[in-house]
Amino acid sequence: MPRLTIDDIEIEVPHGTKVIDAAERLGIMIPRFCYHRGLGSVGACRMCAVKFLQGPFKGLQMSCMIDAQDGMVISTTDAEALDFRRHVIEWLMLNHPHDCPVCDEGGHCLLQDMTVSGGHGMRRFSGEKRTYRDQYLGELVQHEMNRCIHCYRCVRFYREFAGYRDLGALQIAQKVYFGRLADGPLESPFAGNLVDLCPTGVYTDKPARFRARRWDLERGPSLCIHCSLGCNTVAGARYREVLRQEARLNEEVNGYFICDLGRYGFAYAGHPERPRSPRIGSQAVGWQEAVAVACDRLARLGPRSIACLSSARASVETLGTLKYLSKRVGSDHFVCFYDAAVKFKMGEIVSKLDGRTAVSLRDIEKADLLIGVGADPINAAPMLALAMRQAQRAGAKVVMMDPRPLFLPCDFEHLSVSPELFDVCLSALVKSTFDRERVGKHGEAAVTLYDRMLSCDPLDASVQARLEPLIAVVEGCRRPIIICGSDIAPASSVSFAADVALLMGEVKDQSGVFYVLPGANAYGAALFDAANGSSFESVVQEIEDGAIKALIVAESDPFRYVADRDRLQRALNKLELLLVLDYLPSETVRKAHIFLPTRAIFETRSSFINQEGRLQVAEKIHSPGTPIWQVSNKGHPPRLYGTGICGGEPRAAWRVLQQIAHTLVHSQNEISENDPWPVIGGECAVLARHHQHNGPLHGLRIIPQTSTAAFFDGDLDLQPKQPMDGHLTLLPVVSTFATEELASYSEIIQRVIGSPCAYLHSDDAERCGLLDCDRIRIAVDDGFLEIDLTVSDKMARGFLILPRHSRFEWQKLHCFAQGLPVEKIGNCTP
Amino acid sequence: MSVQVLFQNRRPDRIATLDEYRRSGGYTALSGILRDKSRRDVIQRVTEANLLGRGGAGFPAGKKWSLVAEDAPFPRYIVVNSDEMEPGTFKDRVLIHTDPHTIIEGIIITGYAVSAQKAFVFVRPSYETSAVILEQEVEAARQAGYLGKHILGSDFSFEIVVHRSGGRYICGEGTAILNAIMGKRPNPMKPPPYPTVKGLWGQPTVVNNIETLAFVPHIIRNGADWFKNLAATENGAGTKLYCISGKVRQPGCIELPIGTRLSEIIQDHCGGMLDGSQFKACLPGGASTRYLTPEHYDVPMDFDSLKAIGHRLGTAAIMVFDHKTCLVGVTLNLIQFFSRESCGWCTPCREGLPYIQDLLWRIENGEGREEYIPRLETMAKHMWNAYCALAPGAASPVESLLTFFEDEVREHISQRKCPFR
Repeated sequence: MPRLTIDDIEIEVPHGTKVIDAAERLGIMIPRFCYHRGLGSVGACRMCAVKFLQGPFKGLQMSCMIDAQDGMVISTTDAEALDFRRHVIEWLMLNHPHDCPVCDEGGHCLLQDMTVSGGHGMRRFSGEKRTYRDQYLGELVQHEMNRCIHCYRCVRFYREFAGYRDLGALQIAQKVYFGRLADGPLESPFAGNLVDLCPTGVYTDKPARFRARRWDLERGPSLCIHCSLGCNTVAGARYREVLRQEARLNEEVNGYFICDLGRYGFAYAGHPERPRSPRIGSQAVGWQEAVAVACDRLARLGPRSIACLSSARASVETLGTLKYLSKRVGSDHFVCFYDAAVKFKMGEIVSKLDGRTAVSLRDIEKADLLIGVGADPINAAPMLALAMRQAQRAGAKVVMMDPRPLFLPCDFEHLSVSPELFDVCLSALVKSTFDRERVGKHGEAAVTLYDRMLSCDPLDASVQARLEPLIAVVEGCRRPIIICGSDIAPASSVSFAADVALLMGEVKDQSGVFYVLPGANAYGAALFDAANGSSFESVVQEIEDGAIKALIVAESDPFRYVADRDRLQRALNKLELLLVLDYLPSETVRKAHIFLPTRAIFETRSSFINQEGRLQVAEKIHSPGTPIWQVSNKGHPPRLYGTGICGGEPRAAWRVLQQIAHTLVHSQNEISENDPWPVIGGECAVLARHHQHNGPLHGLRIIPQTSTAAFFDGDLDLQPKQPMDGHLTLLPVVSTFATEELASYSEIIQRVIGSPCAYLHSDDAERCGLLDCDRIRIAVDDGFLEIDLTVSDKMARGFLILPRHSRFEWQKLHCFAQGLPVEKIGNCTP
Repeated sequence: MSVQVLFQNRRPDRIATLDEYRRSGGYTALSGILRDKSRRDVIQRVTEANLLGRGGAGFPAGKKWSLVAEDAPFPRYIVVNSDEMEPGTFKDRVLIHTDPHTIIEGIIITGYAVSAQKAFVFVRPSYETSAVILEQEVEAARQAGYLGKHILGSDFSFEIVVHRSGGRYICGEGTAILNAIMGKRPNPMKPPPYPTVKGLWGQPTVVNNIETLAFVPHIIRNGADWFKNLAATENGAGTKLYCISGKVRQPGCIELPIGTRLSEIIQDHCGGMLDGSQFKACLPGGASTRYLTPEHYDVPMDFDSLKAIGHRLGTAAIMVFDHKTCLVGVTLNLIQFFSRESCGWCTPCREGLPYIQDLLWRIENGEGREEYIPRLETMAKHMWNAYCALAPGAASPVESLLTFFEDEVREHISQRKCPFR
């Protein structure tokens, strides 16, 4: 490890550490603009110049461009370096508009900091300032080019790091312009990162524009709960309302960046119709009364007549306490996943993720082969796509098995096969990598599985031809990772992916499986829900039979997921009590007999477990209560204050549930007023072992080192199938920004989502007499669904792919009648 | 007339044809090496001949080629730089219009020396006629069997592509040219990796000036000693195409032994200064070099001799200024060019050059102040910490203006006008 001396202090740093970082370790912050650890060094701004006194380099050099080496002696305060840096600042400020009073970057502007610390105060230049025309870049990012200091961070991120092409550097010399060829929304779902990256105010957060000064924000560490990755954020709130979110560095998860869903999805918490007061029927009441009535009614019901529902967006605290309550009131029914197949897959995933198989997003970046099995990263977990791109930039090969017309911001090999063929394709791809002896180390079951893989029938010639060259890649790779979805992938594939990852670990340097799960806390929900035979179907049946008389729904909305809404409505009508706890203005909330408002993630400390089994904590950012912006008619400064019941603001779901349990249950030693964890630990041994109030910054992996679950026992489907001619299978899929429940209540996200569109293979389209951009109608039992059609030849034949889009009633699709249900009714809506 | 190598087939009205080039011994070097010389032999001979790069930096061509390792990956590329935009320089254009086949043969031999498969001749778009000539003559060479698959029946296959530049000065920079050819934004790239290791599309690439490669067939044919003996100085090697412009009687591009004295070039080969003009200064090697004053009027014009007195030969484009020329105005003109042509990548160049331009404009137009002089000095000094060589080059005339002609600058300030107007 090189030892060097910076400003007379010696330091030893790892190989490959840049001098600028070595200095930072000593607490010496060398000024910089273009250097960003997430993007690397390019030496453009020349701000980080320091004097090299001894060693292999001499004189003024850029500290971001040079790796620390033995014997270097460096001065950051040398007069020549100071003078040069002062000039760099002077040059950068020549054309800056000095509009700091009205600039949202003010207060966290690197240019402000550097101008002051660089020692440039008086303007000497008397020439004219260059000016630019700003562009409209969509609803999320505001453009103000006159502030630009040309550090090139934006285009380096946008084009090189993220792989999108519609923003770039135009012109040369002093006219260099960062923008698009023409005005228009930025196409990348990662565009919001420009706001974080820009060292001055060229790109600012548009929805938060002029809402608060930086120093007035209440800021704190939070989490994105819009998908299962668990990206870390910093939420900033003002007057009881989150106004903006920034990416928070987590080396193991999201790195320096987040996607736009994570950045702008928060607005559900400030939804103008958010229910904020306890309610009995349609009557707003105080907390005490609402809880007392709820307890009273629950207590009057017999044992086993209460069912509990929650979801993968609920925190560990909510889920654990609800589970506790559910057991104490004698209910067999605790349901977090409405779809029994998803619930089964989640059970498999949680049992098979362990120290040998689980990998983080950071591991994805280091992989040299990524095999996707029914995963659509851009739509289901955008930051995964960004990690995959980094792997590919470093030389990794990406292979995706998926019937959808996938898009990824990197090159990839797309095997557009039906989900039924995932097992047989994956098997054909990897089997030659193994040998019986090494497989044998994993026991009898592994050998049986291996034999089945060896003897599986040959594939369709065209698929086989595509696989051949990839088999060699699999044989040659050292760090393969399987990326497996939990949505369209069959249960057998979900299970098989982990088996393959485990076997790969035997012959490769590193291997693993990366699951994409259906919700921010799907892993947590599965921990509580797994060993439980109950399903939503059985709950509905028992309500219909009269066995279940009350339903406690905590932060969940069955109407969103259940296809047969009439049946659900009839069932709810039969209930004696529908007790709903939530923070969203959902259909279920509207139907509640008793409603108790809960706190969103920003209003209470809450924990979530991401898809690799990492427990992470979001801190409370601001007090609950109606945002002043909403009660003061958007006036500034706010003159009016809330008129609601004092103390009637939302409470954390776990506190309310504990309170109910406290009333209903007699032995209650576990209940502690300020700590949900004794209760949670009692319900889940894993969490009892791991819970920490102040865990490490990057979260805490709660998976076992070696899972005791049975591997190699999946019901592999190794029969290659011929597509049935003339038959279209409907495949509802996830759609970026438009599917996720919380985002559908976020006004900002709703502004930017595109209209829903269906996909059909060109052969199928021809057969059905349909063309690209047709408006089609799909017959369902109680009417029709209409949607625009996109025809593609980059997808599997025999599928009509439909988005679970918030503006498309996909829930009705279950009623789909056989036959050819699709007909053209016109052209796409413009 | 001294020995003419590149201009031996020069005609007043047209370019030399393939047959004329062959009659002067053309393509015998190529057929000779394909017969019995290894790539190492070629590199060794060019190294021994001490052929220094004619693009401005003067890096030994043989040494550059030997940096392409024996086991380096394929394909390998040659980039021939003819993006001639250095103010005052026009030798590439004259050379292409004189004897294109000496260039083409040189490129093919270089390709052989580094086992390359393809060469890109990168031509300034204002030189459209040059590009057309090269395209025609490359085709003629292909028809004659000097290009394409199995050249002259050997195992060696090679192609030449004529590529027109986007038309900016920075595209001719030794690494920016690679980005330009790959269709990327032509920002320079700081080595390592060097182009000889990772150049075009990550493959080994040799970048040479067109004049450099034109010498190669003659060195192969006549030997290293012959080439070294062509020079007028002990350490020099070969001849040089000098471009002389400015206040002389017969400006133009002439081939002379490298190291010919400046005085000799002006007096004997350009007919002396214009009537009534006295030599005040010249830029010896294009706009990115320092003003050379009468004190060094007799300096031998080669790389070493100029370096010894703190100057650079650059592209050997000699711009001669007389005593009636305002050098503040000249410098302002040059800085306008450089600040316009900055790629905009690094701060000193992008923002500092316009600042310098503004100060010079004010001085030239009677708005100068005393404090501008130290400010100009500091800023010009700081240009040396820019990303690539453009800004230091641009600073050279400014620095030397302040060093040698400070009085002239002060006169502008004290008289509140340009004394030459």
